[in-house]
Amino acid sequence: MSPTPQQVLDVLSHIQDPDLGRDVVSLGMIKELDVSPQGKVSFTFELTTPACPVRDRFKTQAQDLVGDIPGVSEVEVRMTANVRQAFMRPKPSEVLPGVKQTIAVASGKGGVGKSTVAVNLAAALSKAGATVGLLDADIYGPSVPAMTGSHSVPEQVNGQLKPLEAHGLKLMSFGHIYPGDQPTIYRGPMVGKAIEAMMTQVDWGQLDYLVIDLPPGTGDASLTLAQAVPLTGVAIVCTPQDVATDIAVKALQMFRKLNVTPLGLIENMSWYICPSCGHRHEIFSHGGAEAAAQRLGVPFLGAVPLEESIREDADAGTPVVISRPESAGARAFVEIASQVAARTSIQSFRQLPVINVR
Amino acid sequence: MVIAWEDGHRSSYSGERLRWACPCAECRGEAGAPGRLARLKTLEPNELRVKDVALVGQYALQIAFESGHATGLYTFSLLRAMCDCPECRARRSTA
Repeated sequence: MSPTPQQVLDVLSHIQDPDLGRDVVSLGMIKELDVSPQGKVSFTFELTTPACPVRDRFKTQAQDLVGDIPGVSEVEVRMTANVRQAFMRPKPSEVLPGVKQTIAVASGKGGVGKSTVAVNLAAALSKAGATVGLLDADIYGPSVPAMTGSHSVPEQVNGQLKPLEAHGLKLMSFGHIYPGDQPTIYRGPMVGKAIEAMMTQVDWGQLDYLVIDLPPGTGDASLTLAQAVPLTGVAIVCTPQDVATDIAVKALQMFRKLNVTPLGLIENMSWYICPSCGHRHEIFSHGGAEAAAQRLGVPFLGAVPLEESIREDADAGTPVVISRPESAGARAFVEIASQVAARTSIQSFRQLPVINVR
Repeated sequence: MVIAWEDGHRSSYSGERLRWACPCAECRGEAGAPGRLARLKTLEPNELRVKDVALVGQYALQIAFESGHATGLYTFSLLRAMCDCPECRARRSTA
C-alpha cells in the first residue's frame, strides 16, 4: 500500500536546514507533493538559493528517507530554488522594487580586492542559476567596467538607464557613465546623490541578488547606501595582514552600528603557489581574517589565493569563475558565493520592526 | 506610534514624547551649544503630532511632525531604550 502524503512529510521533517536551524517541511521547502497509487512519490524541493551549499546532501537525504518508507516504489525529487524577499517584507522596497536581496561588498581599506571579489561573487551566483545585478558604487575608482569587459554607455529608456549586460550579469558603474580617463570630481554629498541615482534611476528589473561593490572607507558612500536601501547584509573583504584586518574590523563595526548584518569576512590574497618551485608562500600572512571573524563573532566565509590568473582575467574582462572554473581561485569564489547565499537566506527569515502610526 | 519588534516585544510612544526626544542637531544642540529643546518649556500642538514615519535603511526611523519638523533620525536602539512599558521600566530601574 502506498503511504499517505502526511507520512512522507513526517519523514522529510527530519531534514534540518543547518543554516536556518529548522526542518525543511516547516520552512515550506517541500512543494507539489504527489503520491501515486502505485507508490511513486514525487515532490519539488524548493531551496532558498540556487547556490545552496547543501543542495546535493538535501537531495540524497530526501531520496533515502522517502525511499525507506514501506510501500514506496520510486522517489522523484525535483530540486529548484526561489530566492525569498529579504526580511519577509510584505511589499517590495520602494527604492529597488524588483530586487529580492541586496548584498554589499566592503572592506574599509583599499586595494584588498573588493571589486575582484564582488565581480566573482556575482558571477558565481549567476552561474548557480540566480538572476544577478552588480552595482559599482565606487564613484571615484570604478573597476567593474574593466573587470567585466563592458565599455559601452548605458542607454536611456523612459528616463531610466538600462544596465549593461555581460557574463549573464546586469551591470551599472560610474565608469560606464564617464568612460575612458575622465575622472569623477565630486564632493561628498554628490557621491551620495550619485549612488542613490544608480539605484533609483536604473531599471534593474527583477533580480534575485544585487551585489554592490562599495568604495573603501566608512563615509559617504557606505552611509548613503545603508540609509537608502535595507541591505540584506554586507560581506567584508580583507587581506590577512594586521594593517588590513584592523581596517576591515572598523568597516564591520560601522555596518553593525547601521544595523546591517555582517554576513562574514573573506580573506583575499591568502596564499600564493609559486609556479616555478611549487611552494606555498604566504606573502601577506595567512589566517588573519579567520582570527578576526572569530574575535568578532561573525562567520568566516572563505579564503582566496593570490593567483596570476585572477588578475589576468580581471584585466582581460572576464571573471575567473567563468574563464577558468577549475582553478583554485575560481573554486574558492564559488564556495564563498554559496556561503554568502546561505547567510543571505538566513537574513530573509529575519523580520524588521513593524511600525504603526495611529 | 506602535513598534512591534523582531523579538515580539511591543512599544508604544506618544507624539509628545517622541518630539521631546528628537535627536537632531537643531533640537539637541551641537558643539557644546544647547539645542532648541533645552531652551523651550512648551511646544505648539502641531509640533507634537506625528504626521509620517519613514524607515532609514534598517537602523532608524525618520519621524515627520505636523509642524514640518523631520530632521531627527530615531535609531532603533534609541527607540527600544525609550520603551515605557512596565516591564522595560522595571528592568531599567534594577539595572
